[in-house]
Amino acid sequence: MANIAAKRIKREFKEVMKSEEVAGGDIKLELVNDCWTELQGEIAGPPDTPYEGGTFLLEIKVPETYPFNPPKIRFMTKIWHPNVSSATGAICLDILKDQWAAALTLRTVLLSIQALLSAAEPNDPQDAVVAKQYRENPQLFNMTARHWTNIYAGGPTSVWEFNQKVQRLLDMGIDEHQARVALSTYDWELERATEQLFC
Amino acid sequence: MAETSEAKASASAPGGDAGGEEEKRDERMLECNICLDTARDAVVSMCGHLFCWPCLHQWLETRPSRQVCPVCKAAISREKVIPLYGRGNTKQEDPRNKVPPRPAGQRTEPESNSGFPGFGFGEGFHMSFGIGAFPFGVFTSTFNFGDPRPSAAPRGTAQYEEEQFLSKIFLWVAILFVLWLIFA
Ligand SMILES: [Zn+2]
Ligand SMILES: [Zn+2]
Repeated sequence: MANIAAKRIKREFKEVMKSEEVAGGDIKLELVNDCWTELQGEIAGPPDTPYEGGTFLLEIKVPETYPFNPPKIRFMTKIWHPNVSSATGAICLDILKDQWAAALTLRTVLLSIQALLSAAEPNDPQDAVVAKQYRENPQLFNMTARHWTNIYAGGPTSVWEFNQKVQRLLDMGIDEHQARVALSTYDWELERATEQLFC
Repeated sequence: MAETSEAKASASAPGGDAGGEEEKRDERMLECNICLDTARDAVVSMCGHLFCWPCLHQWLETRPSRQVCPVCKAAISREKVIPLYGRGNTKQEDPRNKVPPRPAGQRTEPESNSGFPGFGFGEGFHMSFGIGAFPFGVFTSTFNFGDPRPSAAPRGTAQYEEEQFLSKIFLWVAILFVLWLIFA
């Protein structure tokens, strides 16, 4: 790994550890390997959002050309958000692409991703299905996001109705996550979700 | 939206033991915004952000089509950075043939009486006219006339006499020129 990348990550790591966001439990950063090329981030779901109370893990890969090119970051925790792929966890955030600036750090990037959870940008979606629901049925979107936070990120709000519907599909021998995706995609209409799963 | 929380976060630096923190903050002022190390071959952008020249150069090379400051995203270019020279700048840096030398500082001469173009005086001729304030510069020169500057030839020598003579001729030429300007 290029010297400057490893050196900078080491420095950033130390700084993050001393930051008040880490002290306050907002973000976390852990090393995955010894050569400073892969880290694991963690952000707390922001208050007053469907993600509140959840803990979201992020995979961080540091390219050899860091900090001249952005780190590659994706959600490892499944999340229902217009700017995050519900399938792969890929994030659509300008600073991780063409708006990257070399002075940004892992700390500021993690905080930006956290801010993205508070303020989605449905006009620049990563997941078209989620974005459509966000625009057309915000209340259902909120419930779905809360449900996902409960199931995958340890959030406190369990949505009984949704759990029941997922269970119905489970009983038909469908994989749990697949069932949840189908139901979320078809606005929790059991019939349409089933149809899609068996066609 | 991202910027808001970022600004909030950086505004309140983590508290700690006062002395050490102070010192660290002082040090941080001289850190390159790209490698986060103490800036070497330091340059500063027009927006006031500090970088190592090799770091900034690599940043500009990485995105030739989008040349912005890595900190504030203001427009930036190789021509518009200012190198910073501290004391004792004699230390040899390790040669990085990939990185071109830092752009040179631009040294603007302090304001002074500039030569009158078109009159082609010889070197050492001490009388000059400020073209900016012409014709007032002429009179300024007139009043300074009897007070040769230190660079002038020593009094009494042939050169001194010659300079005085030329000065007088020139003064009359200048006065005639002014009169011509007024009455023509
Ligand atoms: Zn640097
Ligand atoms: Zn700047």
